[in-house]
Amino acid sequence: MIHLIKNAVSEGLLNIRRKLGSFLITLLMVSLSFMVFDIFLIISWNLGTALKDEQENVGIEVFLKDNIIEIEAVILADIMSGMEGVRSVYYVSPEEAEAVFRADLPEQADLLTLLGPQFHLPPSIQISLHPDYRTSEKVGGLARTISGMDGVEDIVYGKEYLPGLTRAVDILEKLVILAGLLLALSLSLVVANTVRLAVARRALTVQIMSIVGAPGWFVRVPFLGEGLLTGVAGAAGSLLLTVAVSWMLSSSVPHYFLPGKWIMLVLILGASSGAAGSWIGMRSGIPKPRS
Amino acid sequence: MITFGNVSKFYNDWPALESINLQVQPGEFLVVSGPSGAGKTTLFRHIWMGDLPSIGKVEVAGYRSDRIRRSDLPFLRRKLGIVFQDFRLLPERTVFDNVALPLQVAGTSPKAIRRRVFSLLAEMELNHRRGSYPHELSGGEQQRVAIARAMVAHPVILLADEPTGNLDPEVSRMVIDLLIEINRSGTSVILATHDPRQVPAGTARFLYLERGHLVNPGIWDGYRQL
Repeated sequence: MIHLIKNAVSEGLLNIRRKLGSFLITLLMVSLSFMVFDIFLIISWNLGTALKDEQENVGIEVFLKDNIIEIEAVILADIMSGMEGVRSVYYVSPEEAEAVFRADLPEQADLLTLLGPQFHLPPSIQISLHPDYRTSEKVGGLARTISGMDGVEDIVYGKEYLPGLTRAVDILEKLVILAGLLLALSLSLVVANTVRLAVARRALTVQIMSIVGAPGWFVRVPFLGEGLLTGVAGAAGSLLLTVAVSWMLSSSVPHYFLPGKWIMLVLILGASSGAAGSWIGMRSGIPKPRS
Repeated sequence: MITFGNVSKFYNDWPALESINLQVQPGEFLVVSGPSGAGKTTLFRHIWMGDLPSIGKVEVAGYRSDRIRRSDLPFLRRKLGIVFQDFRLLPERTVFDNVALPLQVAGTSPKAIRRRVFSLLAEMELNHRRGSYPHELSGGEQQRVAIARAMVAHPVILLADEPTGNLDPEVSRMVIDLLIEINRSGTSVILATHDPRQVPAGTARFLYLERGHLVNPGIWDGYRQL
C-alpha cells in the first residue's frame, strides 16, 4: 500500500513536470482571478473595520436637568447600569464636562469665560452598550425608556446615522459571503475545465492505467492533487500579487492588509475550489464501464 | 475461466453482440476471427469488463458481470494482460516504465519491479531498449513491449486484439510465435484477428464472429471457410 501511495504521488508530480508550461499558465489564471477577490476582501475589510469602529462607539449620552443634585444623578446612573443591554455607565459632572470641553475644543474655550461663572454645562451619564445592543432598534428602545425617567433632560444616541450604519455592516457581511461563494464557484469551474482538459490530454494514460488494474483512486489522486495544488498555489500567488499592489498604494490610499484569518480563508477557498474543480473534471473525463 | 452466458450487447438498439454462448478453459488458446465490425473488440471489452452486457452475463476468473462492483474491476484486470493493435504505449515513458506500469499500479516494491521487468525484457530481447521511448522503436519492438507490459504481472489470461494488424508479415509471425510460447507456459490466450491463418492449425480453437453472432461454433476451424 505504501508503494502504491508513493507511486500515485510521484505520478502526480511527474504529470505536473511534464506539462509545466500549461500548469504555470493555469496558475497565473487562477492567481489573477483570486487577486480580484483579494482586492475585494481588502476593501471590505477596511470598510468593515471602519464601520465596526463606528459601531463600537455607539452609546447613549443622557443629559440631566441642571437642577439635579449629584446624589440623584448617581442613583439614576445606578438604575441605568442595571438595565438590559447596558454594559457600563459613567457619570460626567458639570465640572468634568467643562474640563473635557476645554480639552477637546481649546479654540472655543473662551466661550465658557464669556458666558460667565453662573453658566454650567449640564451633567450627563454616558452609557456604553453590549455589542448586541448596538443596533438602531435596540438603542432606540432603550433611549425611549430612559427619556421617560425623572431628571432626564435630553438624550443623544445618533438616531440619524445608526440605522444606516447597522444596515451597511449587515449588507457588507452578506456581500462578502455572496462574492466568496460566487468566486469559489467560478474558480471551481476554471479549475474543473483545466483538469477536464488535462484528463482529455492524458486520456491514453488514464485508459491504460485503468486497463492494467490501477485502482480508481490511483488514477484520480494525481488529478485531485494537481487541482488542489493549483488552487492553493493560485491563491497564494494572488496574495503575493495583492501584497505588492497594496504596498504600492499604501502611501496614496492608507489601508490595512488582510488579517491572518482572512489569508487562511483565501488559501482554504483556493484548496477547496481546486479540489472541487478536479472532482468535476474527473467525473466527465475518467471512463466508467458501459452498461 | 471465461463464460459468456447468452450475452447480447446493444449500442442505441444496434446489436454489437447477440446471444453469445462461449466457454474458455484455463490454458486454452482461442482465436476469434471475423471481418471488421464483427464484434471482436466488443467481445474483448466484455472480458475486461470495459463494457457490461445488455442481456446475459459474463464470468471471468470468478468475477460476474452482474455482480461486479467498480472497486473490483482493478482486481479482475490484474488477472488479465491486454495487447492492442495500436500498441497503446505511453509515449512520454521509457520502455522500462511502460512495462513496469501494471506492477506500479498494483503497489509492487521498486526492487521487485526492477527484478521482474529486467528479467522479462531480457527474455523478450528488449533489454538494450529499456531506456528508449516508444517513438524510437520499430513496430515489432513496440508490440513486443506491449506484450511484455501485458505479461509482466503474470496474468492468467492474455487478450490480444489484432496484435499483428500494424505489422509486416515477418514480424507478425514472430508475434504469433511469442503468443504460442506464452500459451505453452500455461497462460490462456485469446487472439482476435481478421486472418486466422496466421496461427498454425492444431495449436488453437477457432471461432468466427459475424455481425455480432458466432458462426457455426464448434464446427468452424478457421481454414475451410476462407
